[in-house]
Amino acid sequence: MNAPPPSTLSLAKKLFFLPLTLFLLSGCAVKEKWHTSTLLVFDTLCEIKIFCSPSEFKAAQENVDRIFSEIESHFSPDAEDYSSSMVLDLYRRALQVFTDSGGCFDITVAPLSRLWGFLSKSYVVPAHEQIQSILERIGVEKIKEEKGTLILLPGMKLDWGAIAKGFAIDLASRSLIERGISRGFINAGGDLYCWGQNPDSQDWNIGIKHPRQSGFLGIISISEQGAATTGDYQRYFIKEDVRYHHVFDPRTGYPAEGKQSVTVCGPETLLCDALSTALFVSKRPERIMEKYPDYGAIIVDSEGNLSFLGKIFPFHTVD
Amino acid sequence: MERRDFFKIMLATPVLTPLILSSKKTGNDLELFLISEEPQMFLPLLLQQIQEYSPNEGRTFTFLNPHPRENGLKKTLSEKGWRFAREPATAHLTLSFGYLLNKALPSFTLVRKGWIRDIRSRKVHPLWQEMNKNHAPSSCLTIASLKTKTSVPSTGEFVSMYRDGQKIEALSLEENEEKSYKTQGGRITVQIAGGKVWVTESSCRHKICLYSPPISLAGERIVCAPNHFLLEIERSSSIDTVIG
Repeated sequence: MNAPPPSTLSLAKKLFFLPLTLFLLSGCAVKEKWHTSTLLVFDTLCEIKIFCSPSEFKAAQENVDRIFSEIESHFSPDAEDYSSSMVLDLYRRALQVFTDSGGCFDITVAPLSRLWGFLSKSYVVPAHEQIQSILERIGVEKIKEEKGTLILLPGMKLDWGAIAKGFAIDLASRSLIERGISRGFINAGGDLYCWGQNPDSQDWNIGIKHPRQSGFLGIISISEQGAATTGDYQRYFIKEDVRYHHVFDPRTGYPAEGKQSVTVCGPETLLCDALSTALFVSKRPERIMEKYPDYGAIIVDSEGNLSFLGKIFPFHTVD
Repeated sequence: MERRDFFKIMLATPVLTPLILSSKKTGNDLELFLISEEPQMFLPLLLQQIQEYSPNEGRTFTFLNPHPRENGLKKTLSEKGWRFAREPATAHLTLSFGYLLNKALPSFTLVRKGWIRDIRSRKVHPLWQEMNKNHAPSSCLTIASLKTKTSVPSTGEFVSMYRDGQKIEALSLEENEEKSYKTQGGRITVQIAGGKVWVTESSCRHKICLYSPPISLAGERIVCAPNHFLLEIERSSSIDTVIG
């Protein structure tokens, strides 16, 4: 085996190691590297990948776990917390998207999910009259905020499922960035925030699942952005050849029609999460996107056609 | 020289084809190709011009391979506020030297994300004329690559071999081996060991490739212009994670 040419390299090495040695002697040397881990939160796997020292990683993991547990305790389907500041904050954000989307995004759809059997997983197609009577208990506008607490009508129930995960990811990633972790992502069951550069020193390449086939619809390359997908393939049942999925149109009480999947990218995961649901339901998604200029959407309609709305993010299909 | 003739020469120079192709790939947003015997005379001013294309504030530079005008370049660049960095992967500007088979008139061109851009603005035009009038043809090619983001070094996974602009093979950096390749002008032998790659033998005249230090980080390259041969460290640009 031939040795590498010595002169320039050895000189470069010496000069390179000199500051490193000084650094080591100063007693604060920490080796940063990539760490990955998975946590089980919100009944889904949460994947974390960050660039930091091993001790920092342990602390970061605990931090993320603590934030997710806290969010889960406030916003799980059984939670009846209507007065904590966290709940009030998220309620106001949800109300804003409800207004901006003409009621397409609505956190009061929980009774519908229950009626259709999505909570108990014993699925039924309810009678039309049943749905109509349930609709009387649907609508964020029916909620009153009085003396620091939310007042719901009897029979109303909140479903934070389309916004709380995004909120948790924003809180968790912000806490990691504040700890000085400059590169990484948190992906909780398809809702994600990524920042800094990936291990290749590029933007993060995020594969988006194809709504009907195995493999990918395409790859988006992003950084300092959140992303979330709402699809009719995530939770559904088929009865008499009809697919009934979990994304309800709060105005009709039936699963929203016309789309297979909507992916939204933008600075806040919370809004990506909520907007992907709003766009999925809406018949005029472009009107919603006009109000969110920093956000972009990748939409697959019910025929499988791909279209883009709003801000354009680097997207390419895979062979 | 007319711009058209210049491109003809540039594009007919086989060494540039792989370079242009790879510049599209490596994420180096801007690559300036400068043919001149005295690149140190022109580079600082040209960089000032092309930095208008790039919002980057980074001011560190390094050499990817030995450059015959290394000292001169270091001097003139530091006069303009550039700092020399030893780690190629962290420098904002990397300079590499290429040797052209035939002498060509002094000239420069800018490739931005794989596309040739005209930078002969009013400010640079006198420079272009001066280069063409008063300077002798040269076979010294200087490639200045500017990154818009400082990248953090990432270890490569494999090394790709490009011959005449075509990728002919990719070898894992984990396997230790020595391999020879036939080229138009002769042959070149490459050694992989301990996650690093270097050239151990080459039929070329100047042996610049042979004196290039071993490479191991993604994006690092060794160029053997006479052999029309390029080695580049790569990583599989796989998907980082999946949503949906």
